[in-house]
Amino acid sequence: MSRINEAVHEIHHLDAMASREGRINRIHPLSKLLVTVWYITFTMSFPVYEPGGIFGMILYPAVTMRAGGISAVRSIRKLKPVLLLVCAVGIANPFFDRAVLFRAGPLPVTGGMISMATLMLKGAFAVLASYLLILTTSMESICYALRLLHVPKIMVTMVLLIYRYVIVLLKEAERISQAYSMRAPDQKGIHYRAWGTLLGQLMLRSIDRAQTVYESMLLRGFDGSFRLSKKQKMDRRSAVYLAGWLGIVVLLRYVSVFKLAGSLLE
Amino acid sequence: MNKIEVNGLTFSYEKRASSSRKNVLSGLNFTAEDGESIGLIGANGAGKSTLLKLMVGLLTDYEGELRIGGIRAEKASLADIRKKTGYVFQDSDSQLFMSTVYEDVAFAPRNYGLSEEETRERTLRALESVHMEQMKDRHIYRLSGGEKKRASIASILSMEPEVILMDEPSAALDPKNRRSLIHVLNGLSGTKIIASHDLDFIYDTCERTILIADGRLAADGPTEEILRDQTLLEDNGLELPLSFSRTLE
Amino acid sequence: MHMADALVAPAVAGTMYACSAAAAGWAVKKVQEEDDPKKVPLMGVMGAFVFAGQMINFTIPGTGSSGHLCGGMLVSAVLGPFAGFLTMIGVLLIQCLLFADGGLLALGCNIWNMAFYGCFIGAGLLWRRIMKNGPDKKKITYASVIGCILTLQLGALSVTAETLASGITELPFAVFAAAMQPIHLVIGLVEGLITAAVLCFLYEARPELIWTGDSGKSAAGAKKPKLSFRKVLLALTGAFILIGGALSLAASANPDGLEWSIQKITGSAELAASGPVHAAAGRIQSLTSLLPDYSIPDRETMLGTSLSGIFGGLAVIVLCIAVCYLFGLFRKKGRHEQNQ
Repeated sequence: MSRINEAVHEIHHLDAMASREGRINRIHPLSKLLVTVWYITFTMSFPVYEPGGIFGMILYPAVTMRAGGISAVRSIRKLKPVLLLVCAVGIANPFFDRAVLFRAGPLPVTGGMISMATLMLKGAFAVLASYLLILTTSMESICYALRLLHVPKIMVTMVLLIYRYVIVLLKEAERISQAYSMRAPDQKGIHYRAWGTLLGQLMLRSIDRAQTVYESMLLRGFDGSFRLSKKQKMDRRSAVYLAGWLGIVVLLRYVSVFKLAGSLLE
Repeated sequence: MNKIEVNGLTFSYEKRASSSRKNVLSGLNFTAEDGESIGLIGANGAGKSTLLKLMVGLLTDYEGELRIGGIRAEKASLADIRKKTGYVFQDSDSQLFMSTVYEDVAFAPRNYGLSEEETRERTLRALESVHMEQMKDRHIYRLSGGEKKRASIASILSMEPEVILMDEPSAALDPKNRRSLIHVLNGLSGTKIIASHDLDFIYDTCERTILIADGRLAADGPTEEILRDQTLLEDNGLELPLSFSRTLE
Repeated sequence: MHMADALVAPAVAGTMYACSAAAAGWAVKKVQEEDDPKKVPLMGVMGAFVFAGQMINFTIPGTGSSGHLCGGMLVSAVLGPFAGFLTMIGVLLIQCLLFADGGLLALGCNIWNMAFYGCFIGAGLLWRRIMKNGPDKKKITYASVIGCILTLQLGALSVTAETLASGITELPFAVFAAAMQPIHLVIGLVEGLITAAVLCFLYEARPELIWTGDSGKSAAGAKKPKLSFRKVLLALTGAFILIGGALSLAASANPDGLEWSIQKITGSAELAASGPVHAAAGRIQSLTSLLPDYSIPDRETMLGTSLSGIFGGLAVIVLCIAVCYLFGLFRKKGRHEQNQ
């Protein structure tokens, strides 16, 4: 499957997941957005040399996956690119920081190894958290939450329009590149002589489409900005969800769960 | 009362009068009564789309007279004209710019300042008349071509327009979707003008047909009469519809 | 060049969010002043276009590999820098949400690194200056290539600075930068050529679509916003001082990061001032002596943390000015050619 097709499928999948009637899906989008950002911020603030504490942070994605009925396998597959990137940046650490912190049996564990492992965990948790957000919250709801956070209307309107036309244009781009590759079967990409015309055609069509979209808006009373609906009330559930997770995340950040469990056992 | 009055309508995309100026429409005359369904036919470049765009105020600066519901179409009256007329674009993807069916159909009433309650009522009514009430929460990009077309129609029905203009509504629809569209259109009240190359479609939806060629009125009369007139059609760059050519044989 | 959440510390992310938000606020104000309702759908559809365009593979002649579009310059060359910047924010936000390209926390960084430079420096300053007397194909090609290379260099430099300030990697600045800058020189060149090809096509097909700044589109009576060189420079200076200071504070709050922060950020000053050529040279040097390079003698006693950060920021500004100055020379030359 081509890259573009994969992208289209992914968007369809996310959309189908977000429009389910789930426990997490019903929570007010503002609560979910704030919890996600809060969670990521606190997770990222862990010092690199403290891998013990960061494990506790798995609680949020684990609970959300369970409550939202989300496949862990599919979510973990989503982590691959980010882990590769973090790995590429963090790979130097074990080489530079070779101070041995402790020994696991015969194996010396160095500061660099720890910091790299912490980094990978951070990367995984952050991606999981935002993936869980989009799996349980539709783009329109996220835009509604952004509006509540006073993000300017023009930007929210624009984001909604981009989201609306992403699929249309992805399919158009797919058709164009297929038409190209069918007549140039041995080429991996687009030859440089066709760069301008191919992408330029797509751009011109997009601009023309924008004109039609504008006319369509105009004919239906558009005056510069969208009137967005979905005045979803912040119900008690959502408020509890928000307050609960904000608290738990802070707790997990500053109280080492594993140490605590260990001392209780003693 | 006449819903649409077109009198000596002349239009050109070039603004200045010069000898080389080409009129897209020249001296067009016709009227449409309330509730009439009119097919608008003509070869490519005959001026069909231009006429539709003039009627909805996407193009202005014409010469002659153009009245919709008694109001002269001009810059000052654009808002009134647009409230009375709904325009269904050929490309549904451009027409439907909101993310879900409901949001798109609710766009116009909301923008015209109706309350959320009224908006909801109108939206559901519009969706019902195109048989899409089950799909109201669907994302636009998940709709089929036929569903998109019906959603486009619903998106203008929610404005409760007096005049409905359509540009090639049956283009790229499979036979089944085409049939259901004919069914939907025949169930709509209000004045309709349908521009199309699909003459069989016109035959199934309009009792009257206007033929334009090179911006001029070539014929205006009962659909059956015009569509059976092989010489008239061929002189103006069209062909006899399939259903008629078969009966002639 | 999307940065992941794990690569930025919250303090760095917050600083960059503040900078990007300020730029976005300015852009929103400017676009609203233009008061052109057509802009909104155009921005939306163009955003989707960039999104789709980024997915197409372009073969790089003579190599087996392929290049991609990033889009900041391209969009701004049609929409102008303000609407272009907002469009790119939209694209980055959706990419981050749908495809986990970059993260929610790193979004501020990504907007700054990938959209700010391309839209404001690349299009707002460079493009507008070059197109002052009307565009032609040569100027379009020239502006696109130089613009993309310059903005990607600035972007890559910012990525390096942000990552190091976050205390993520033990890599010395020189090594990191030496890896980043040359790669992005090539990427910038390819992106510049793609952008140029598309814009030349657009210029031939519909020249009125090319944004040329004040003299451009004679849209009836619309007030065209001006992007003054001075204002941008001032804003940049402010931003760099803010970023430099905040980053250094963030670094000093992290005792493990302290050691590298001083060396690396002062190292950045040296490197930033000398540009990509020296970066390439630095790379060769560092490849031959990776470890010795890391244990640079104790500079930390010579400079305060915060001060060094600001110093690094200033160096980047010097680079900007130097480039603009150089570019001014080029322009005169270009005009000279025209006169002939």
